Amino acid sequence: MNFFDEPNNIQFPPEGRVEAVAKVTGVGKYAAEYNVPDLCHAVLVGSTIAAGRINSIGVDEAMLSSGVIDIVTHYNKPEVSAWSDDAKIRESRFGLPVFFTDKIYFKGQPVAMVIAETFEKATYAASLVKINYTAENFEVDFDRAQAKIPLSNAGKERGSETTWATAPFIVDAEFSIKAEVHHPMEMHATIAHWLSNDKLKLYDKNQGVNNVQRTFARLFNIPVENVEVISEFVGGGFGSGLRIWPHTLATALAARLVKKPVKLMLTRQQMFCSVGYRPASWQRVRIGADNDGKFLGIVHQAKNGTSLYESFAEGITRITRLIYSFENLKTESAVVPLNLNTPTWMRGPGDCTGDFAIESAIDELSYQLKIDPVELRIKNLSLEKNPDNGLPWSTNYIKECIEKGAVMIDWSRRSPLPKAQKEGEWYIGYGMAVGLWNAGRGNASAAIIMQQDGTIIVQTAMTDIGTGTGTGMQNVANEITGIPKSKISIELGSSNLPPAPSQGGSNGLSSITGAVVAACNVLKEKLAQYATEINGVYKNALPADIILTENSIVIKGKGETAISYQQLWQKKSLTSVEVEASSGPGAERQKYAFCSSAAHFCKVMVHLPTGKVKINQLVSVADGGKIVNEKAAANQMSGAAVGGIGMALMEEMPLDVKEGCMIGDDFAGYHFPVNADAPVIQVGFIGKPDANINPTGAKGLGEVGIIGTAAAIANAIFNATGKRFRDLPITPDKVAG
Amino acid sequence: MKPFTYIKPESLGKALTVKKSSTQYIAGGTNLVDLMKKQITQPDAVEDISQLLSDDIKLESKGILIGAMAKNSAVAVNKNILTNFPLVSKALLAGASPQIRNMASIGGNLLQRTRCPYFYDVTLNCNKRTPGTGCSAIKGENRMSAIVGYSNHCVAVHPSDLCVALAALDASVSIINKNQKKEVIAFKSFHRLPDEHPEKDNHLPEDALIASVQIPNNPFSKNYAYIKLRDRDSYAFALVSVAAALHLNKNIIQEARLASGGVAHKPWRWTEAESFLKGKSATVENFVKAADIIATGLKPLSGNGFKVQLLKGAVETALQKCLTP
Repeated sequence: MNFFDEPNNIQFPPEGRVEAVAKVTGVGKYAAEYNVPDLCHAVLVGSTIAAGRINSIGVDEAMLSSGVIDIVTHYNKPEVSAWSDDAKIRESRFGLPVFFTDKIYFKGQPVAMVIAETFEKATYAASLVKINYTAENFEVDFDRAQAKIPLSNAGKERGSETTWATAPFIVDAEFSIKAEVHHPMEMHATIAHWLSNDKLKLYDKNQGVNNVQRTFARLFNIPVENVEVISEFVGGGFGSGLRIWPHTLATALAARLVKKPVKLMLTRQQMFCSVGYRPASWQRVRIGADNDGKFLGIVHQAKNGTSLYESFAEGITRITRLIYSFENLKTESAVVPLNLNTPTWMRGPGDCTGDFAIESAIDELSYQLKIDPVELRIKNLSLEKNPDNGLPWSTNYIKECIEKGAVMIDWSRRSPLPKAQKEGEWYIGYGMAVGLWNAGRGNASAAIIMQQDGTIIVQTAMTDIGTGTGTGMQNVANEITGIPKSKISIELGSSNLPPAPSQGGSNGLSSITGAVVAACNVLKEKLAQYATEINGVYKNALPADIILTENSIVIKGKGETAISYQQLWQKKSLTSVEVEASSGPGAERQKYAFCSSAAHFCKVMVHLPTGKVKINQLVSVADGGKIVNEKAAANQMSGAAVGGIGMALMEEMPLDVKEGCMIGDDFAGYHFPVNADAPVIQVGFIGKPDANINPTGAKGLGEVGIIGTAAAIANAIFNATGKRFRDLPITPDKVAG
Repeated sequence: MKPFTYIKPESLGKALTVKKSSTQYIAGGTNLVDLMKKQITQPDAVEDISQLLSDDIKLESKGILIGAMAKNSAVAVNKNILTNFPLVSKALLAGASPQIRNMASIGGNLLQRTRCPYFYDVTLNCNKRTPGTGCSAIKGENRMSAIVGYSNHCVAVHPSDLCVALAALDASVSIINKNQKKEVIAFKSFHRLPDEHPEKDNHLPEDALIASVQIPNNPFSKNYAYIKLRDRDSYAFALVSVAAALHLNKNIIQEARLASGGVAHKPWRWTEAESFLKGKSATVENFVKAADIIATGLKPLSGNGFKVQLLKGAVETALQKCLTP
């Protein structure tokens, strides 16, 4: 008996994640793990030049290699209905026209794909494909390229720049952040299976099955219901799964060509150039304040890298318009085309980048003003309304986040002067920063299937990329119906289930919990309707009056009204009860603005002779409305904080600008934090529901956990050493000395 | 990865006899498998020698003998190592990850190849991988590259942490050559500098095997330190590392050992600084002077000037740490 075949009788921990046992026992299947008969394996061949054209592709040797079934190139690719000409390709907004061009936009661009009987055979044969190129000039140096790109307006200007030109306190500084790569633990993978000529089944790693479904229906001009997408277990995303990338289409093309199911999993190295990244950025912030520390005005300019085949604007200056009251505000931005693949949203997209500059500049201003950075921020927060659209905040507890965080880290220990505290060889410093995120909500649907024994299955198409969506759904279903958690199971991540938006932008829980509440209420109504036939008291009962217990329906406070499910089922000759409901945003969006927010506090120790920065304490306090599951929420916040440490101290897409490519694009060359780099993250929540956002009052937490973390760390390093770092990551070479 | 045959010779003699230039010995495989996946080493066959060499760690009268097949993790927690040669354990535990240390052999640790990123990218030039093609690192991204002992042909550094400690402790390497003869090579002469032949990492004769590593008895089990500066706290190669050991009588340094990783094509001994410290008192001033001596001979490249400062900081910190290990 093999180790993994051992039977297990693990008791489901009542407060644990619904998918925990399936994950730790290996029963839960990730995209690449499904067994499909006759499965073939595809491996991509990447361009070895950064710019130019393909002259020829020699596949003869590779075709003769053992186990090779076929090789896809732009010469022989199968048809994509929506891509009949170049104009249509652009119209489709898919991005890279993989195998539909001979033009090379970046090194690593897929130019051929070997399909073989086994992964190993495909991998070896891929090394035998000979490609002849004409190389052209390239540019991957963001710093050099950005200087030549002009800025243009990014949002409406408020007031005027001249009114505060002579402000007594002004900080004017430039900031830069290197590109970061998502690198979820599970590498992106797809199994594509054409069940018939117009029916496609995909097992795919992504953050939204309906998005994948719609995209493929459009690309191949087939009905949406003919595309089935299964993404039941997803090993992290951070935004990399919000688009449909070339490798997924490539897999479908391979399957079409060989008329068999095909699996393609990106290698870790291919992950660097295939599924987006947080682009490199440049920013300039000019911020002015009066003698009391009241902000007078701000100018925020930002540029970010993009590819040559798509324009991706990160929205770096958006955050500047949201947190504080600036009567005078000007934001400008630009994108900088480079010979790299297209960047995409990565945790806290845009805001995370912009917030680093703004929150660093405010920290700098606080030293000029000699006002505590906590006090300076509180003085200038826009707590009543969204300063950009003028709508009142439904709820905004950013001030409470700051106050709670200051207590948690004991902010009074901070010295107002830099480089003033030392323990042994280590300088000690404290820093803080805040983050905010527009709290969104999408239309989502959920279904419930109930059995006579009182068990229910709650279903949605939404994925759970590790954030605890399923567990959140279970908690909400338990709270609304009364059915014990042990009787509630969850099914998600499949396009066969009721549709839901992609899980991104902190929208997941906010959207799906509304649908679960709606479905629970419909279930109650339906059971009450059946119950009316036994006891008239149920006739006008509202869902809020009804409780579903382990075995019966009952009216709140009236135990004598209980009717067992068994009775109901027998009376109506039911096999199961199935309900479905949808829920989404409405008129409240015209009345209110919505936000999640967070405050991050950090204590660092810095060893100047060796440039070592040790994060001693990291406190993150968030307003995520009602916290549906505190464990999963805190886990989400901790993960984001560690991501923030990576952004601040080490993550950097490794490039050789002379060669026009990444170099050291593996986990020896790209560092993200390990446990040793992070303290136990201290997480706090405000925990007050937002009554207007959705029926549960829960707001998303995915982004605010990382927006501001890097600034808090950089600010703490300044407090410790007197060295102001405006360029990320802050690696030991910059700190030493 | 190129298809290959797996051979498991039944004896050491057989292993040496069947070895060809197109085959490759494999022990833990923690580096070789990567090299094969990346098509840098493409053997027709791998010869598994993991059952043929000793994994004993034996305390002998003259010192300690570590069998080539001893796992890195086993050596790091061995009682005799911890008691008499604790610097070795410190260095080992600074390297790789627990999982890799569980697989990696001591012989393999010595023979692991550089992690210079250009060496691993077959689309770019590298003299170590393909002699005569040129060095991409020398004018490229050389943040991690050498600051001493390099040539115009190669600026790669040796990646091992263990070897830094072995260099500091004057270890020696016992080998078995193709004719089954035993030879001993002093550790300082085991690895080589790149000069005109960076494709050769060391002086191990072709097709020979490492049998064991010996470390002579020493007076450095009390005052020692291994400092590794890197971009994160675990699972990263050294920007610079320092193995330091002092033999103290009261506060007077009887003998000092200083070696570094992340600075050269081989584990680097700082003999001049060692001589300076000999007979001096163990003070911060003297430690700073020793670090200055080390810093004067360095020739950083376009992208790694910071290593001079880091190395000085690491040397001073390591020497101070020797006083309170």
